[in-house]
Amino acid sequence: MSVLTQLLRNRKALVGVTILAIVILVAIFAPLLTEYSPTQRVGRPHQPPSTDHLLGTTRLGYDVFTRLLYGARISLAVGFGAGLLITVIGTVLGIIAGYKGGVVDEVITFLTNMVLVIPNLPLLLVLAAFIGQASPLVIAVILGFTSWAWGVRVTRSETLSIRQRDFVKSAEMLGEPSWRIMAFEIFPNLISIVGINFIGSVLFAVITEATLEFLGLGDPNTVSWGIMLYNAQNASALSVGAWWDILTPCFALAVLGLGLALINFAIDEIANPRLRTGGMLARWTGLIRRGEGTL
Amino acid sequence: MAFLLRRVVFYLAAFIAAATINFFLPRLMPGDPIQKMFAGAGSDLSLENLNALKLTFGFIDAPIGEQYLAYLKSVFTGDLGRSVRFFPLPVTELLGRALIWTVGLVGTATIIGFTIGTLLGVMAAWRRGTRFDTVISLLSIFSSSVPAVVVSLITLFAFGYTLGWFPNGYAADPMLDPAWGWDYIASVLYHGTLPMLTMVIVLTGGFAVTMRNNMINLLGEDYIVMGRAKGLSDRGVMLWYAARNALLPTVSALAISLGAVLGGSLVTEVVFNYPGMGNTLYQAILARDYPVIQGALLIMTAAMLVANFVVDLSYVLLDPRLKRA
Repeated sequence: MSVLTQLLRNRKALVGVTILAIVILVAIFAPLLTEYSPTQRVGRPHQPPSTDHLLGTTRLGYDVFTRLLYGARISLAVGFGAGLLITVIGTVLGIIAGYKGGVVDEVITFLTNMVLVIPNLPLLLVLAAFIGQASPLVIAVILGFTSWAWGVRVTRSETLSIRQRDFVKSAEMLGEPSWRIMAFEIFPNLISIVGINFIGSVLFAVITEATLEFLGLGDPNTVSWGIMLYNAQNASALSVGAWWDILTPCFALAVLGLGLALINFAIDEIANPRLRTGGMLARWTGLIRRGEGTL
Repeated sequence: MAFLLRRVVFYLAAFIAAATINFFLPRLMPGDPIQKMFAGAGSDLSLENLNALKLTFGFIDAPIGEQYLAYLKSVFTGDLGRSVRFFPLPVTELLGRALIWTVGLVGTATIIGFTIGTLLGVMAAWRRGTRFDTVISLLSIFSSSVPAVVVSLITLFAFGYTLGWFPNGYAADPMLDPAWGWDYIASVLYHGTLPMLTMVIVLTGGFAVTMRNNMINLLGEDYIVMGRAKGLSDRGVMLWYAARNALLPTVSALAISLGAVLGGSLVTEVVFNYPGMGNTLYQAILARDYPVIQGALLIMTAAMLVANFVVDLSYVLLDPRLKRA
């Protein structure tokens, strides 16, 4: 609970959480916020923003604002779904490798390093190229199973240091089974690492889903920010001057990305007090700095 | 040197893993893999040529184990087959041409981004808590979170279409003869500016954040205090005591992020129609040119491994402990 209050007292976290909350609310209440359907032609092609169409229309006459609202649903679903999968795989493998050590550790570490050096996006493109048009669900699943390596690396190294601590030693002496030690002694101490991994993975999944769809590997009937980019690019929106068509999803992705990154930065600051620089500490270093100047 | 040898063995294993993915992917998908792999050629492919391609990719009348060995053999002898879209152009030749552009773009952008990002990170950490730090941190967070697609589309829109300062695509003026003349080089630089700018924007923030946080973690160490106590100048302590040690984890972060850098360049190349690996892979995906798609994964993996090895070497130089190991 104290982590949560600390999080809300951090200004970066507050802005990040607000952005995320707005996107979530928009996704939930999309039908109430717009009178149009995201999959129906409701205007003439490429109309600039007006009171009828707040963010203009696409070349096919869809309302850009409506598609923006509904698109948030897919971005969030893929982001959180894939992010959860990535985090679960990464955390479980990382704790096992760090706690068990020996051959188990070597195998997991070897696999992890291998996944880290095979470039992720090209691999995803090759997978998607063989699969054909991938639905958001398929994209989330392949993201989940190809992108866990970073999490394993960080979780493992943190587990290695926690394993040496007294409370783990005493639990071992008491004869607790190793799964219990991993789940109830070690895992609670990794919560900030897991949090950073989760938010980072959500961010990665949101960006990568949009990128894959932009490159034409998604299902073109999906209403998502990536498909909006894809359609706008195919309609040559930039060269015909329909900036609203392409900049709207760009803006949405940038803002959601910023929100998630701010939350992550804040968790890092809370977990690692040295990184906290506001208020007292700043005044203190300022005093020292001034003192040094006159010496 | 045992350290470097271990790394080389590991890289070899990683490369074989990428080849293994290539081998099994078409065989795991529903439908006839041969039909799927070479359908992009339509009826242009003669039976003789088709058989040569089948041999390269291990589609032979033999158990799966032998097929796998046949495929590995062609990969390690440098035979990646031929493009079915631009038949009979060998995949290695098609991708080799593209690789030069990507290495130029990614290499330059990484060096610029790493230098600027690291310096900004050092300065922000040194002045932590000040307005300078806040501004740099916020800009870095933004730069490291905004997708490359978004940055490249916005730069293209702003500097390419609206202001018209830079060209909207290609690596050089297509009217010019690609020879080593000043006109050609100038044209390459002019065309490369926007993709380069995009990559630098995407990369710099991540390096700045990593460096800043590493630095701050080190600033409380005893040897920093010692440096000050010895009466060294502010800048001396900052650069030679703190930054030098904070650089080590930043370099290993660079190694991990190389894959993401390559991914970023892939998207940037597509948006700016830049003739690198990423765009070639993209065009191959559109045309379902599977030999090129598979070859691109292999060559990009190989490029990653070489880059990682370079990072390993610099690691040995930066960390004297590894020389003894």
